[in-house]
Amino acid sequence: MISNAISLMIAVPLLGAVVSFFAGTKAKFVALIASLIPLVLSLQMYMEFDKTSKIMQFVESYDWVPSLGVKYTVGVDGIGFPLVLLSTIVSILVIIYSWGETNRPNQYFGLLLLNEVGVLGVFSSLDFFLFYIFWEVVLIPMYFLIGSWGGPRKDYAAIKFFIYTHVASLVMLLSIFAMYFTYETPEGGRTFDMLTLLAATADKTIFPTGLLNIIFAGLLFGFLVKMPAFPFHTWLPDAHVEAPTAGSVVLAALLLKMGGYGLFRIIMPILPSVDKVFVPILAIIAVLSIVYGAFLALAQKDIKKLVAYSSVSHMGFVTLGAVAFTWMSVTGAMFQQFSHGIITCVLFMSAGTIQHVAGTRIIAELGGLADRMPKFAVLMMAGFMASLGLPGMSGFVGEFMILTGSYATLPAYTMIVVLLSVATTAAYHLWAMQKTMFGPILKKYVNVHDPHAYELFSMAMIIVLSLIFGLQPGLITDMMGTAATQVMEPVMTLSQMGVI
Amino acid sequence: MDFAHYMPLWGEGLLTLMAVLIVLLGSLMKDSGKLMGYLSLGGIVAALALVASNLTAKPALFFFDTISVDAFSQFFKAVFLIVSMLVVIASLSKYTGKGADEYYALLLLATVGMMVVSSSIDIVTLFVGFELASLSTYAMAAFDKTKKNLEAAMKYFIFGSVASALMLFGFSLFYGMTGSTRLADIAAASLADFGPATVVALLFVIVGFAFKMALVPFHMWAPDTYEGAPTLVSALLAAGSKKMGFAAAFRVLLVALVALRLDWYIAFAVLAAVTMTLGNLAACWQDNVRRILAYSSVAQAGYISIGLVVVGAAYGSSPVNVFNMGMWPADQLGIAGALLLILGHALMKTGAFIGSAQVAGMVSGSGQNDPDDISNYAGLAKRAPITAFCMLIFMFALAGIPPTAGYIGKFVLFSSAIYSGLAWLAIIAILNSALSLVYYLRIISYMYLKDPAGPKMPERRGYVAALAITTLAVVWIGVFPDGFIEWAGQAAAVLLP
Repeated sequence: MISNAISLMIAVPLLGAVVSFFAGTKAKFVALIASLIPLVLSLQMYMEFDKTSKIMQFVESYDWVPSLGVKYTVGVDGIGFPLVLLSTIVSILVIIYSWGETNRPNQYFGLLLLNEVGVLGVFSSLDFFLFYIFWEVVLIPMYFLIGSWGGPRKDYAAIKFFIYTHVASLVMLLSIFAMYFTYETPEGGRTFDMLTLLAATADKTIFPTGLLNIIFAGLLFGFLVKMPAFPFHTWLPDAHVEAPTAGSVVLAALLLKMGGYGLFRIIMPILPSVDKVFVPILAIIAVLSIVYGAFLALAQKDIKKLVAYSSVSHMGFVTLGAVAFTWMSVTGAMFQQFSHGIITCVLFMSAGTIQHVAGTRIIAELGGLADRMPKFAVLMMAGFMASLGLPGMSGFVGEFMILTGSYATLPAYTMIVVLLSVATTAAYHLWAMQKTMFGPILKKYVNVHDPHAYELFSMAMIIVLSLIFGLQPGLITDMMGTAATQVMEPVMTLSQMGVI
Repeated sequence: MDFAHYMPLWGEGLLTLMAVLIVLLGSLMKDSGKLMGYLSLGGIVAALALVASNLTAKPALFFFDTISVDAFSQFFKAVFLIVSMLVVIASLSKYTGKGADEYYALLLLATVGMMVVSSSIDIVTLFVGFELASLSTYAMAAFDKTKKNLEAAMKYFIFGSVASALMLFGFSLFYGMTGSTRLADIAAASLADFGPATVVALLFVIVGFAFKMALVPFHMWAPDTYEGAPTLVSALLAAGSKKMGFAAAFRVLLVALVALRLDWYIAFAVLAAVTMTLGNLAACWQDNVRRILAYSSVAQAGYISIGLVVVGAAYGSSPVNVFNMGMWPADQLGIAGALLLILGHALMKTGAFIGSAQVAGMVSGSGQNDPDDISNYAGLAKRAPITAFCMLIFMFALAGIPPTAGYIGKFVLFSSAIYSGLAWLAIIAILNSALSLVYYLRIISYMYLKDPAGPKMPERRGYVAALAITTLAVVWIGVFPDGFIEWAGQAAAVLLP
């Protein structure tokens, strides 16, 4: 048993980031080591993780600012740990994928490591103050990644990303403060302790429904913007299109998961105590995100934008699964987070590689690339299949569980999703694949060739992971299932809540 | 005379002697600017050490009960001395030639004036300290003798004099009503008996203070002055002399005129809300970095005024459980929050102005029309990495991003507004913090995202030292705020019964 595993996992990339800023062209080796250590630590934690336990594990707690009731408390359970694992996996693969970066590599890798620090902190903080700090820390490296290494409209995209998500965080912060100032500890003080505050929201004498509704709406807004869900998704395409490939990968695979994590960790424990109208609202937002996101993806000319909108659609499934409130759908939604985090990497890496070799991402201008880059085409094809939900790969498991689970409580919404999105999703994936990769090779692309081995390696690793978790989802759903049971303990079904 | 008895005031005495000595030596020696700088630095550090050795003093009265040395005065003296110290450290790289002795002497006298104000419990003493600081800074604002300097100094002088006159007129009315110049006596008299005269006097005093603190609509002089004065002097003005306005306002309004709080607290609530909103909005449209900083300073004055509003709303209310600190009266928390933000803002603003002085000094040789234009900051991260990094920290701190001094100050202050039932004001303030990010991010994006506007530049050592100290302090207060909150709370308790 490693003591202080989580702190170590956060501290190593932080140290790595500082070293990497001063390491010049050697930064990539620093980054590789500094992201390998957290990966090893998280795998070790996976071995030791008690999948049947409902309490927080690997907890560390120290006083930080006693006068304000702020503690440094970290710990993970079945909600947080899969995302910690995802973060360490994605971070190292992104660093390997970016091995050839020559434009200020020291800052580039340093910022990627800082990003890892931020997301690991968010997924393991059990103190709202600490949580908020990590939540904000994530913004800064991403802002610089987009703004410094981005495309032509990088300034606009970076500022829009920062302001949009920062305003959402502030609204979330207001809700956190409302909880902080409402709840008094038995000793007569205040606390930012996440689990204490969340447990207290069930007490109507402390949090009357009216107040709790406002708090809930603020928190929800913060998370929905981050996910992003319709109609708060407009920052995402700009950020994605302008971000460098590694930035896009981290953004889609990890940053969006912060919103989903918020749903499970913070929104779901409060949901049973607030006004019932939030359930249909959330369900409508989920369905619109899934369907509208899919149709938007179908209409895109730029393959990266297509992938970006597919994220909106896929993250909509997470919302749907969470709000349907059955064990199956909640577990499925957690799995969908993990699975989308993995699969989206390969999609954005594909878009990045295409941009790199062909000089354009406009689907209509591409064609027949598979002829010259066969290895890449196989990996990209596998990624797209995983994304559209091919059985045997992880994408299928998540969506299947969510749809099966939510049919029990939200049949109408589920049917709309099935009718409108399944075919659309398959259509845009296949269409994009066919247009760019297959058919006769266009004359201007006769000189393109397979990308570097490190890029192929990263993509291949992801495909392997997607297959492993697609065929053997129990590796990670066991702990998610325990967490889902834990989340749903107070109210087992929506019918008990009086919604349907 | 019993010198030991006056030990708490040795700092003021030392700095005054030092100022006289510097002027004398300066007229005898040639090219002694550097020496004068080190002399003043030594004096300030000694005075700071004296203050630091006695941070939470039991109130001690001097000079026929006109000067009080207490936790409140020590807090402000620490702020003023730190600001002066940073300005002197930076000045060591700029004011070394002819006339430097006058610069350092004026700076020391201005510091003494501010220190006297923070200790005054008598309106005449307070006014004298005020004028000592003001007159010294009027001269400093024109120190480089460029056309811009002179214009800035003239504006500053005229507005400052009008403000002083208004304030003095208000004071004289209060003296007429109560027959005493001591704050405690004025507080004891029943001012409400004098009817409309009280309101007129109060109005004059409030307007006088509002000019000094640069609250909207009395803020117009601030951007012009901060833009036109020598940059290091702007740092002293924004971080030091403006805070003196708050020290004076706290003493007078909260000790002498607290009985009239129902008359002034609504006025300050409106002034605070309008000031922060307009200051932040105006800052979004500026292209001159010093004007951006000036308007951000106006907005910060709006935040700090919340402290006054909280006292007005919650004066004498029974203690509530605040945070995890046990029972505190909400009004005490309000002043404590304001003091924390004053400390934080003094550091951040000094740092930011010294950073802009660094940039202006580096580019002024390259034939740019306006050395403070934001275009000069393009690619600063590559041209002057240390300056750019420190500026980055200051910008995030000013925007209130944790864990920095700016965040802690705002947190305690806005919380106090919530505890005293002014949640609307807290929400306006928080939304304003989000708005302010627009222009801070603009500076950051110029520094880090744009292509460099020129080759790498040498960073002046004095400036770098001052920037590094300030950055460390800003982060330190943010990460370990416990002691500072307690200190500010003790300082706040001095003003309340």
